[in-house]
Amino acid sequence: MKHPFLESDLYYNFKRTPIAVLSFFVFLIIVIMAIFADIIAPHTPFEPLTLNLLNGFTPPMQANEFTGTIFLMGTDDQGRDLFSTILFGLRISLFVGLMAVFLAMVIGVTLGLIAGFVGGVVDTVIMRFADIQITFPSILVAMLIYGVAKGLLPPDLRYEMSITVLIISIGLSEWVPFARTVRGSTLVEKEKEYVISARMLGLSYPQIMVRHILPNILSPVLVIATITFALAIITEATLSFLGVGVPTTKPSLGTLIRIGQDFLFSGEWWILLFPALTLLLLALSINLFGDWLRDMLNPKLK
Amino acid sequence: MLEIYNLDVNLSYRGSQIKALDNLSFNVYPGEILGLVGESGAGKSMTGLAIIGLIEAPLSISRGKIIFNKQRIEQNANAFRGSKISMIFQDPLVSLNPLRTIGEQLVETIRTHIKFGRKEAIEYAKSLLEEVGIEQERFDAYPHTFSGGMRQRVVIALALAPKPSLVIADEPTTALDVSVQAQILELLKKLCRERETSIILITHDMGVIAETTDRVAVLYSGTLAEIGKTFEVLNYPQHPYTKGLIEATPRIDANSLNSKLYQIPGVMPDLKEIPVGCPFHKRCPRYIKKCVEIKPPLLNERAACWLLDNEKGLL
Amino acid sequence: MSFLLVNQLSRIFDLSEPWILRKIKGQQKKLLKAVDKVNFSIERGQTYALVGESGSGKSTIAMMVAGLIKPSSGFITIDGYNFFSPTIENNIKSSLRKSVQMIFQSPYASLNPRWRVGEVLKEPIKAFNLIESENGQKQRVCELLEQVGLSERDINKFPHEFSGGQRQRICIARSLASEPKLIICDEPTSALDVSVQAQVLNLLKDLQKQFSLTYLFISHDLAVVSTMANRIGVLKQGILVEEASPNKLFEKPEHDYTKMLLSAAPDIKNVSKIP
Ligand SMILES: Nc1ncnc2c1ncn2[C@@H]1O[C@H](COP(=O)(O)OP(=O)(O)O)[C@@H](O)[C@H]1O
Ligand code: SF4
Ligand SMILES: [Mg+2]
Repeated sequence: MKHPFLESDLYYNFKRTPIAVLSFFVFLIIVIMAIFADIIAPHTPFEPLTLNLLNGFTPPMQANEFTGTIFLMGTDDQGRDLFSTILFGLRISLFVGLMAVFLAMVIGVTLGLIAGFVGGVVDTVIMRFADIQITFPSILVAMLIYGVAKGLLPPDLRYEMSITVLIISIGLSEWVPFARTVRGSTLVEKEKEYVISARMLGLSYPQIMVRHILPNILSPVLVIATITFALAIITEATLSFLGVGVPTTKPSLGTLIRIGQDFLFSGEWWILLFPALTLLLLALSINLFGDWLRDMLNPKLK
Repeated sequence: MLEIYNLDVNLSYRGSQIKALDNLSFNVYPGEILGLVGESGAGKSMTGLAIIGLIEAPLSISRGKIIFNKQRIEQNANAFRGSKISMIFQDPLVSLNPLRTIGEQLVETIRTHIKFGRKEAIEYAKSLLEEVGIEQERFDAYPHTFSGGMRQRVVIALALAPKPSLVIADEPTTALDVSVQAQILELLKKLCRERETSIILITHDMGVIAETTDRVAVLYSGTLAEIGKTFEVLNYPQHPYTKGLIEATPRIDANSLNSKLYQIPGVMPDLKEIPVGCPFHKRCPRYIKKCVEIKPPLLNERAACWLLDNEKGLL
Repeated sequence: MSFLLVNQLSRIFDLSEPWILRKIKGQQKKLLKAVDKVNFSIERGQTYALVGESGSGKSTIAMMVAGLIKPSSGFITIDGYNFFSPTIENNIKSSLRKSVQMIFQSPYASLNPRWRVGEVLKEPIKAFNLIESENGQKQRVCELLEQVGLSERDINKFPHEFSGGQRQRICIARSLASEPKLIICDEPTSALDVSVQAQVLNLLKDLQKQFSLTYLFISHDLAVVSTMANRIGVLKQGILVEEASPNKLFEKPEHDYTKMLLSAAPDIKNVSKIP
């Protein structure tokens, strides 16, 4: 017997939408490369011992004039293999993006559910707060939270915690779309008779919210999650590019782009180009897939 | 006036073609109300959409002729849509623009179909409102200030504006209260009589059919099961499905409390699962061997049932 | 005393805008009397029908009888107990919940689309702690499915795999799961086709006999009501304008509104005689 998913309209349509298949597989390949960076990467760029400064500034696919080594995407100023740094950078970018989306989702879905289901003053307070936050660009919110957190943390922890702080600041800056959508869907669902019959059984509010309403509002959440995922990765890159994100010893894509930028005008274009292309490909594939998913799950378009 | 011959509408689903309307033939005569009745999914609305030319992918007209005033329109109904043939939907808000007054909307509709100056159009619009029972003072009101029944009246005025000779009304009163429903049906009857407009009234309500229509066509699974004068069909049904439908309909009667309603066993099959032979045979109390194998054509110009083949109708 | 007693029941909804906006615009409070001093009672095992047009307050009464909306004034007792009595004990409230269930109009919205039929039917059994063992629960679910004319094989299906009428059967099975005494049917067949409506109405009648159920049957359709009700109350804008037995109501309606409803209701008997 076939798995029901293989019979579903979603999968049927997926198979017939080349752009969806393409973007999904590009994303999948990027993720797999990031996960298995240890195995795939030809070099270990963050072990100072394995680095040879003589390898610095080797252009892509050309033998280094001193050591004769060939690097797929060339090397940076310190002789680190760019391909390998990108793989490890991807890993950090994806990790930060994923955790940030997860955090935003948990906060947004919880607040949206409560606002929609409980209504009244609770609803007003939550949604007005969301309104205020949404008037600031999320990058600004993230920078603000980031700055405050850094200021509060003792200096010795700052360095270790920087990725955690980054995740929290991006997560906190992206919860509003989740909350708004979930609130809207909850308002619709809670009037439906299956919720009324659950209330007739004397179930508590949290029980009804989690067991009955939550499973029925997940499709739009999924769509927002994909789009926010791309957004979070870009926000992380931007923050790192501005120098407030992850430390240079553990560079993410954004950090790599910042480093590369310094060398653009001296002719070492590849140091900027390859990380930037990777970021573009990653964000684009997620967004294209997210768009397709949204069209599929949007009942209005059917 | 309107003749439909052997109409097939196909639904393409995952690359294969499923028949949604199968070999449908019937006529509409000038000045009559023809009822189109059947369960949801039987193809009532689809028939209406096919006539007015609104069949769109994944649906397509794959065979048959629709002849309106001696012209074939099955592939190109645009010239007639909204002028000679107009449609009224169940939800009046579909046809009304919430941001414009009903007067503006009426005048616009009138002027796209009839060569009228602005003044003339306004005059005509007001007389239309009068005709459907809305005071002329409401000319400048917005749709949301009207009740459901009043909105449906406005929609009827819009549909009548180009002086159509055929109006297709798809469940026009299903969303309305019975008292309002009675008024709207009365209005449709009056318009039909006074303007000689033909009406195809699509409904699932046998009571509405009984009280409003001159003739009735019963659809089942995309097939015409029975057609005839309403009086004859309801009193002497020839098709077992029609008979079941009539007996299953509750009547206002103090004595019905102690008896049970007749029930047709089972449900109408999904389009993908319509059986070969007579589409009704799995639920039919009187099916014979032939029913399972060969689909009955419309016999005696009345019902698609093999029982009519023997002698002269067994029901 | 009657099994269900509704006494001077009223419910007022506050439709006004928030306080601040009201002050700014200088508006009064906007109140809507959805139900106005309604009285009726139902004997055990009988069916009482409420008819009226949309907005007449039928569903609001249903929700108050079900204990989901608090009356603004007046009271309801079921078997002598009142949901909203300030002194009601928790265990009585719970057993009251158990004995009142509801069936709704929309066969689509009344089942959680993500739950399998088995889970839907187990929920009341679990919520009221009726059967402990996993096996016993499953047996009970099968029994319920059988009682409403479905089969054991349906237990793992999702609602979308059923037709409208079958879904309504599932809803009926769910309402039976807690062995209720009173079932409120709010337009249970309004969304169904005639042939399916007949099946569901007959099923409701059978179950009523089998389990001596009391029905509060809400409908706008007088023909449907005439096949179900022992007594009929006519609601107009929250007020019960007439109450009578079907015989009396259909033969000699007293209130003008009732007469209007009766003449407006489309009836298959009234086929125009001109052949
Ligand atoms: N929660 C609510 N808030 C405000 N008004 C309501 C609410 N519920 C119902 N109403 C109003 O009460 C009146 C009666 O409604 P309802 O009981 O649903 O009528 P019916 O079921 O007879 O159609 C209607 O005017 C409706 O708009
Ligand atoms: S053709 Fe046969 S199965 Fe079909 S309705 Fe007639 S008797 Fe029944
Ligand atoms: Mg209601």
